[in-house]
Order: sequence, then structure tokens, then C-alpha cells
Amino acid sequence: MIIEVAHFLLILCTGLFLMSCCFSLLNKNESYTHILVSRTYSHACLFLFVSFAIFIWLSISDNFNVMYIASHSNSNLPIFYKITSIWSAHEGSMYLWIVFLALWGFIFNLYEFSFKAFKSISISIISFVLVGFLTFLLLTSNPYETILPIAPINGADINPVLQDPALAIHPPTLYLGYVGFVIPFACALAFLIIGDPTIKWEAIIKKWAFAAWVFLTVGITLGSWWAYYELGWGGYWFWDPVENVALMPWLAATAFIHSIHVSIKTSKLRVWSILLSILVFSLSLFGAFIVRSGIIDSVHSFANDPQRGLYLLAFIAVIISISLFVFSYRFSIFSSKKSIESLSKESFISLNNIIFGSLIFSVMLGVIYPLVYEYLFNQKISVGAPYYNAIFIPIVILASIFLFFSIESRWQRTLKFINKKLYILISLTFAILLTFAVSFMFNTNNLYILASIFSGLLIILRYFLVLFDTVFFKSFVNPFSVLAHLGLGLLLISISFNSLLSTERALSIKLGEFETYKNYKISFDDIQVLKNSNHDAIKGSFTFEDLDGSSFKLNPEKRRYFTRGQITTETAIHITPIKDIYITIGDQLDDKSWVVNIQINYFIRYIWISAILMSLSGILLLFNAQKEKF
Amino acid sequence: MLFFRLSILIIPLCIITFFFILLTDDNSYPGADFDTYDMPQFELLDMKTNLITNEESLGDNFILNVWASWCITCLVEHPFLMELQNQNMNIIGLNYKDESADALSWIEKYGNPYNKIIQDYKGSLAMDLGVTGAPETFLVQNGKIVVRFQGEINSDIWRDVFVPLISSNNNLN
Repeated sequence: MIIEVAHFLLILCTGLFLMSCCFSLLNKNESYTHILVSRTYSHACLFLFVSFAIFIWLSISDNFNVMYIASHSNSNLPIFYKITSIWSAHEGSMYLWIVFLALWGFIFNLYEFSFKAFKSISISIISFVLVGFLTFLLLTSNPYETILPIAPINGADINPVLQDPALAIHPPTLYLGYVGFVIPFACALAFLIIGDPTIKWEAIIKKWAFAAWVFLTVGITLGSWWAYYELGWGGYWFWDPVENVALMPWLAATAFIHSIHVSIKTSKLRVWSILLSILVFSLSLFGAFIVRSGIIDSVHSFANDPQRGLYLLAFIAVIISISLFVFSYRFSIFSSKKSIESLSKESFISLNNIIFGSLIFSVMLGVIYPLVYEYLFNQKISVGAPYYNAIFIPIVILASIFLFFSIESRWQRTLKFINKKLYILISLTFAILLTFAVSFMFNTNNLYILASIFSGLLIILRYFLVLFDTVFFKSFVNPFSVLAHLGLGLLLISISFNSLLSTERALSIKLGEFETYKNYKISFDDIQVLKNSNHDAIKGSFTFEDLDGSSFKLNPEKRRYFTRGQITTETAIHITPIKDIYITIGDQLDDKSWVVNIQINYFIRYIWISAILMSLSGILLLFNAQKEKF
Repeated sequence: MLFFRLSILIIPLCIITFFFILLTDDNSYPGADFDTYDMPQFELLDMKTNLITNEESLGDNFILNVWASWCITCLVEHPFLMELQNQNMNIIGLNYKDESADALSWIEKYGNPYNKIIQDYKGSLAMDLGVTGAPETFLVQNGKIVVRFQGEINSDIWRDVFVPLISSNNNLN
């Protein structure tokens, strides 16, 4: 009975969202219209949240009448995994996606704005998006589908790869980031529909855009870290198609938060900001489509069902066509007549928009080209790291050099390099010297790596001088920008050192014997077969001894889960400040030796730290914005 | 003028149209290949070292599953093959580039879903079939391969790719 109630609430809220969407078509200037739209939306959200809360309760209480819970949960799971199993597969994760989408709109709805019609149109656009996705959920992937009359005694269990605390946080954070961009999108569209250039929509959505960007950044970083330690992939980024569809909205969002900055300060680049807000949300939807249509094989793909893909594709086509149509109809109203001063801050940011645009285009090409090629010529090709490195490295280096020169540029004024000549010279000299030092120390002449290190150093040194200037001469500085760009500099340097120094080797080693690799004497002490409640495991025990006699133990595992027969590798990682020693255990060979894979990953932690720095700058900016009233 | 401005829609609409074609195409399963061709001739041994040739020993209708004891994905799809065996499907195993001792102990440990197992230590039959790796699954009807599937098969793929072909030619058992 309670299942049907929850199902009914879900259908009810779909209807209410549809009403909230239609109400805004009533007389736009009547105050009751705005109240009607806003209140209908809140009540629809309430039903949706109650329905989702019941779904969580059904999962906690092991109600295997629900087919989704029966096939993705198990009564032996701890409560923690019973809850996280909700978003471990397609239906439940789509449900969570929708709940988050409604939640962003719900919070937005709590704020009051002076321009009433602007808010009610934004809310009704969010309602429209929600109606589309709820219909998708109800028609093609209903989470409340039941197994009647007799429920199975126990569930089929959660996918073992997902039995990890990171599941509780990686997908929800990422989803919050993806769907958060519905607010800028809806506001941009409402702005276009109203067509009044005096509305400062960029200032209204600034906080929302930054909040969504922070969630997206943290979500992607968590995914990278999870793949490293749980999936045993042994790296931080693989240019997997699904990683790419998360990267594209991130790139667009990064360009977007730069662009609205210009629009707020100078009322320029408004057309760019509107277009980018449409692009970010469209790319988020495109990501949902790629993952859920099963077009691409990936760790993230859900069950393959062309029906779902078609529905999503049609809905995305509707959203993109409507928004771009409205955009092309109206954008001339907002295009600034003033031209942009060369070498002013806004000129650098418009360059930045172009650079990010080309990065997004290249990633898109890398995702789509193999599919087009396979369709036309019936041959599989894969576009991987070499393609992306060849495109990304030169463009990112170019962007860093522009960034270097743009520091301390001013709004609507040409930058006079002559004032800052000393700082530029100091940072250039030190960056060149340090790059040469790296080149000699590590005996490398790889141009890509050296150029990346050089541009990373350039940014970091220049920002340190900015900080120096601020402390001693009290000149103005935007602390959030400094922090985020220091993160970028650190990212460039740590990625370069990681690819320069990291090594990997597969060894075959017998029990009780030892091998040496890179100053480490690795002895294979023991192997145990463990029987656990839901899996068998082989656990190796290895001692690593350094040249100076210090040693540590690592215990990698290989598991076979009973319910699905799935095999997972559990890596063992020894962490030091500059490097990770990473070991996974493979198969046993005929001569009784075991294959183990050893990686020494340098500076990999700093890659995540730099992403954390970027997110932190966004979080601090949000706290700061909370203090300002608008 | 508006028409000119709408050119901004060209790229997204091209991408969407392409995905529409891709999704409505029969080959929307990336691993499935529906070209029909003859089962290649071969003479190989089974696990008990009896000679197997295609016409005499296998019959005209069967499922050919390429597997190996070193292949992790084969172990993943193994429970599903056992399920098919319980439905009396005629499954022939092609043991690909594998030591027979390893293969036998694998079968002993996990169970045998196959009616016959062909040993292909050198991968010669697999070469004729165009196998690129394990697992791969072929559906053979009237001596002709009607579908080839690369990668793990499961109940969804079985339902969408194999069942339509089997029910249109209902003599697999």
C-alpha cells in the first residue's frame, strides 16, 4: 500500500509541476499569477520529497516488493549501503537527479526578487524541465515497479564495486553540480523572454552558479580519487567518455563564472553569458543522455535500453531548440554597443571564453567522432589520451600565458605593463630558471612537460608576487581569484611531474621470495584465502624495504563476490608526501608465482589538492557573498 | 535575419539527429554484429580428445561461446550461461588459447554450461571466426552465423539481440 501511495505522490507532483508551468502563461503582470506559480511549485516539491523519503524508507525496511530494491539491495547490507544502493543504478539515480533538480528550484523559490515576473517565469521553466524528467522516470524507468504477488525473500545485492563509502558522496555531489545549473539556465531564459535589459540576472544567479560549480568540481575530483583507489585503475584521469561528458559542463561552467563576472561589472559579454548558461545546462543534459542511453560502453553506463535514450534525446532536443530559438530571437537587445578596451580585464576574459569554447569543442569531437566513424565505416576506433594531450596541452599553456599577462588588469582600462615590469621580469626569470633546473635534474627534454611546468610556475610565482604586493603595499586583490588560480598552477605542475616521474611495472613473484624495483626490495611474505560473509578474498602480504632500511607492509586483495560472481581488486597504497606506492595483485601463473602490479605515482595527491583549492575559492566566495545583501 | 541567427542551432541539431539515427538503428548494441556468414570448416579436438568437425558433431543450430580460464569477463557471464543451459539451449564452448588443464579445472570449479567444448589452443578456428578476444558469442542457425556478439552477454542482451532471431527460427533446441 505504501508503495502505491509513494507512486501516486510522484504522479501527483508531476501534474502540479505541469500546472506551475502553465500558470505563468496567465497574465504576467498580476501579482496572483506569481504567487500561484511559486506556491504550486513549493507544494509539488513537497510531494516529490515525501515520495522520495518513502522510497528511502522502503529501501531501509527491505521492502523487496519493489523491483528496484529487490534487484539492488540486500537485507544483509548495513543501513548505510541500503540508502546508497538507491542511487546505484538507473531508476534510483535518475530519481535522485530529479529530487536535486527540484531542490535547487525549491531553495531559489524561497528568495524574493524585486522583479516578480522574472522569478515566476524562471520557476515555471524549472517546472517544465522537471515535468519532462518526471515523465521520463514514470514512463520508462519507474522506481516503484513492483514484484507481485510474492516478493523475493532477499534482494540481489548492490554491485560490489559500489560497496564503498565514496558511493555515498560522489554521485550526489556530481548530480548537485549538474542540475544546479538549471537556475542560471532558467534565469537566462526568463531574462530573454522578458527582454528587459535592466534586469541584472547575472548578479542574481552569481551565487547559484558558483555553488553548482563547486559541487561539480568536488564531484569530478571525488570520482577521480575513487577510480584511483577503488577501481584499481591506477591514475587520476582516463579520458573515459563518461569522464569527458562531466568535463564538458565543467569547462563550460568555468567559462560561465568568468563571463558573468564581466557582465556584472561592466554589462559587457552579456550575450556570451546567456549562451554559456544555455550551453552548461545542455551539456549536463547531454551527459545524462550519454550515460543513460547505453550508447557508450563505460563503467558508468546503466542498463542499455534504446527507448530511454530516445525519450531523453527528444526532450533534450526540445529544450535546446526552444532556448536557442529564444536566444537568437532576442539576443540583439542585450549586445553591448560599447566596444571592449584592448588589454582590459574583460578583453582577457573574452579570450578565456574563446579558449574554453575550443576545449569544449575538442572534447565533444573526441566523444562523438568514434561513434560517427563506427556508424559510417563499421570499425571501432578509440580516441584516447594522445588526442586529448595534443589538444589540451597547447591550449592550456596558451591560456596560462594569457592569464599571466592578465593579472592586475583592470576593468575598462588598458593594462599598462610598464607599472608591473619588475614583477613580470622576476616571475619570468625564476620560472625559466626553475624549468631549466627541472630539465637538468630529471634529464628530460619533453617539450610538453617542460612547457606545462613553466606555465604552472609562471602563474604561481606571479600570484605570490601579487600577494607580496598586497601585504606590503596594500594594493587591491581578489582573494578568491588568487586561490583558484594558484590551484590551476599547482594542477599544471603536479600533472607534469606525475607524468614525468611516475613508473609502473608488473612483476611475477613467488611466495617467500623477493624482487627489487626502483630502490625497493619487495618481499612476498604471505598469501591468505579469506572467507567473508559476501565474498571470498585472496590477501597478499608484501613488505617494501627502502635502501635506507625503512620498511612498510602492503596488503592488496582480490575478491570474488558470491551473488554476482564479480571479481574486484582492492589496491593497497602507501602514501608519502611526494609519492604513492600502489600495488594490486593479479593472477597466479603456472610456476606458482603471482603477478603483481606496482606503480609509483608522484604528486598524484597534489592534483586533487589543487582541485580542492579551486573548490575552496568558490566556497569562500559563497560565504563572502552571503554577507553582502542584494 | 532571424533565419540567419538560427544557424546557431545547426551544430546541436546535427548532433541530436546523429544520435537519433544511432539509437533507432538495429545495431544499437555496440557489441552486436548481424552480418550472416557460413560457419567456417574446422577439425579440432574436444576436452576428451575426440575429433570434432563442424557438420557431423555440432548440428546446425547452436550457440557458440568463446571463453578461456584466464578471462575474467567469461567468469562474469558464466552464471548467465548456466541459466541458458538450464533452459536446454545447445551451447558449444570454444576454449580459446587456453591450457586444457586450466580449462578443465575452471569447468570443475564453476560448473559446465557447455554441451561440447572445442579446444582451440592455437586460436585457428577463432581466427577464422574473426574473434578479437574473449568472451564472444555467436548464434548459428542452419549452419550460418546470424549474429556475433563481442563482450559479456546478460539477460538484457539475450532478450534484445538473440531472442528475436531465435523465435523467428524456432529450432535451436
